[in-house]
Amino acid sequence: MSDPKKVLIIDDDPDFVEGIKAILDGADYETSVAYNSKDGWEALTHNRYDLLCLDIMMGRGAEGVMLARKIRNDAVLREMPVLIITSIREQIAFLFPGQAVHPGFVPVDELVEKPVEPKMLLEKAAALIAEAEGRHRGAE
Amino acid sequence: MRILGGVRIGRPRRIVVIDDEEIVRDSCTAILADGDYEVLTAEDGETGLQLVAEKGADLVFVDLKMPGKSGFEVIEGISDIDPTIVTIVITGFATVSSAVDAMKRGAYDFLPKPFTPDEFRLISRRGLERRALVLEATELRREREALRENFAAIVSHEIKSPLSAIQQNLFVLSGELADALTDDQKRRLDRMKSRIDDMLGLIRTWMRWSSADVSVIKESFAPVLLSGPIAKAIESVEPLAQRKSVYLSSEIEDPALAVIGDEGTLTEAFLNVISNAVKYSFDEGKVVVRVHQAQGKVVVSVCDNGPGIPAEDLAHVFDDFYRARGTETAGGAGLGLGLTRRIVEAHDGTITAESEIGKGSTFVITVPAAPSRDDAGRLGDESAGLGKGEA
Repeated sequence: MSDPKKVLIIDDDPDFVEGIKAILDGADYETSVAYNSKDGWEALTHNRYDLLCLDIMMGRGAEGVMLARKIRNDAVLREMPVLIITSIREQIAFLFPGQAVHPGFVPVDELVEKPVEPKMLLEKAAALIAEAEGRHRGAE
Repeated sequence: MRILGGVRIGRPRRIVVIDDEEIVRDSCTAILADGDYEVLTAEDGETGLQLVAEKGADLVFVDLKMPGKSGFEVIEGISDIDPTIVTIVITGFATVSSAVDAMKRGAYDFLPKPFTPDEFRLISRRGLERRALVLEATELRREREALRENFAAIVSHEIKSPLSAIQQNLFVLSGELADALTDDQKRRLDRMKSRIDDMLGLIRTWMRWSSADVSVIKESFAPVLLSGPIAKAIESVEPLAQRKSVYLSSEIEDPALAVIGDEGTLTEAFLNVISNAVKYSFDEGKVVVRVHQAQGKVVVSVCDNGPGIPAEDLAHVFDDFYRARGTETAGGAGLGLGLTRRIVEAHDGTITAESEIGKGSTFVITVPAAPSRDDAGRLGDESAGLGKGEA
């Protein structure tokens, strides 16, 4: 049996994190949590994860967006799949006036809206990890 | 006060005296010298306006009779520079009637010559108080507007996030407890999830509503049988009515009455009006919802025999964030009727309220009836199912 997949959750709402973490733990993922983008970045630069679950709106604004951009500009981290979990899917236009209105406004792999059904979360997670591993093998 | 402090803190209030008589300028400066004011003077209207434009002012005294630019022109010029600046005209004894004219043009008050130092101090203080109130009112209006515009963001963070967290954990719990719960417990858990789903859906609608223009809701317009949203709204209010022993009934002239609209927001609009009627009713009161058609329009009236709404509040009940005096503790954000008005207006409809103290209130929503083949406002048999099952 292969090692459990490592998932990092970055979200500033501890109650929501518990709900996500319990689902992933129940499916034998090895989960870690950061409750702000600073700790999240710290964790990302010191450990390797198979998947990142990222909240967009943290702290005083769209800190998750900044983090996602930072990740995409990092040669190593950009290989890691990112699942954005957000409560603002429909409000992006409002909260980011004058900016491109598209779920791909940050180059992330997937975007789901809070709350997320357990089945959907697990499907997205598995698919993203499998896809990344496929890319990785193809590159070798 | 916080708002005023934000604007004025750190510098003394600035008073400008525009008068061609040197003795008046000098004595005004001398009288105010002992207060925490900065007093500037100008000997004619032109110079005075320049001074106000460059330096700003809280309060400006303007002599009505000056060579060159008249006092009237100066008052209007100041209002053009900054309408929140308070102006007071200084006028000779014989020209009180022109002082009244000046007030009609925006001056706040007038001071007849000759005046005593005390009179001048008093009117200066009143003028500055007026200025503070004007600034506060402007700031409050701006804040209210910003609040309305940012409503989506506020709702998103303050309401939707906790609900999402609750729902997320219910999802997990129902999985984890799948084997431990009885069917009845599972049913209750499902009900909780479905109620939260309803709320999340409603919040999404609100957010769409407040963050985008009306056309977004109009895109999903379809024929809606009014009996559907009315029944749903009544069903939601029924528990509250029972708690208060309020008799809630409906009289629907024709169950086939229909409008072109959005079922979700229409339900929300009716719900707001009906729940208000019940909320503000006396115990054992009566609330009647009537639906009928008149002149190509569908009319929904909600009538209660509650305490009634005072006239000064009635004029504002459809404003966002307005809370009538004495209702601050009744719960709610003062958004219900404002939102209702905007929903109704998006449906090309109107909402009005009539009330009599001690007798009760009637709210009337009028929306154009859906056109149809047989009879305006009635849907034909084939389409009678439309609007149902979209909940």
